[in-house]
Amino acid sequence: MTSDNRQNDESLAAIAALRSHDVSPRRAARLRARCHAALETQSRRHAPAGRAGGVPFRRIIGPAVGGAWCLAYLLEVIRRAAAIYGF
Amino acid sequence: MTQSRPGGSRVMTPMDPDDERPLVAGLRAGDAAAFDEVYDAYRPRVFAFLLRMSRSRTVAEDLLDETWLRLVQHAHGLRPDTRLGPWLFTVARNLYWSHRRSSLVEEASVPALLGLWPFPAPWPSPFDLAAAGELQRRVERALAALSPQHREVLLLVGHEGLTPTDAAAVCGITADALRQRLSRARAALAEQLAATPAVATFTKRYAT
Repeated sequence: MTSDNRQNDESLAAIAALRSHDVSPRRAARLRARCHAALETQSRRHAPAGRAGGVPFRRIIGPAVGGAWCLAYLLEVIRRAAAIYGF
Repeated sequence: MTQSRPGGSRVMTPMDPDDERPLVAGLRAGDAAAFDEVYDAYRPRVFAFLLRMSRSRTVAEDLLDETWLRLVQHAHGLRPDTRLGPWLFTVARNLYWSHRRSSLVEEASVPALLGLWPFPAPWPSPFDLAAAGELQRRVERALAALSPQHREVLLLVGHEGLTPTDAAAVCGITADALRQRLSRARAALAEQLAATPAVATFTKRYAT
């Protein structure tokens, strides 16, 4: 090991041994409370609007019900049109 | 997360990535307990980093607040394999550089570093207090005299224990570039330390 390497290792060891610092307990508690409040707000914002049997209503059940109604309406229109023209 | 040393100082060790996964999952779910664990583990580390970078307690406290609020804001979008240490240090570092660009920070104000010891350390003896305190002051002074680019790589790798790859990601440079920067920073630090004579040297010289 060269003297330069030894000196570098010593300097890094000295940096590793530097003491830690922290904010005051009161400030730490205040920041924690702010973060908890923000976390709760974020959770509400990202929470799904509703669930039915574990399946997100907005993503699956809602579009399925709407699609079924549209399909039934379309079939009824076709059936009545066919009846008018004698098919 | 922290390990005590016989001399009373504490060295930070990085969190195991496997230990972080449940915490990341908890953060994504908005779990306050998971946040608390991350907060308690990383708050002193991020604060010490910001304090040594900015050399201002007020600035470091403000940037620390912003760092944690950013984590909360982005908690739901975290990837499951997110490494919390590099993530937090990246945010903290970017906030520091944004602050530095937007304000006229006087980098030559080394004497302000003397205010870096807010709490008395539990040293075991007066001798240890004198010896370790003197060494730490020399290192702190030498660090403060370095450029912010050199200081940040030394702190991230030397004090926070980040791997060169993680530190490179934090600094937004390649791993090779970081190794070169780290080498130059170590040389600059050694130069600064050599230029800062120890008090013990003077004491010994005057005693004889």
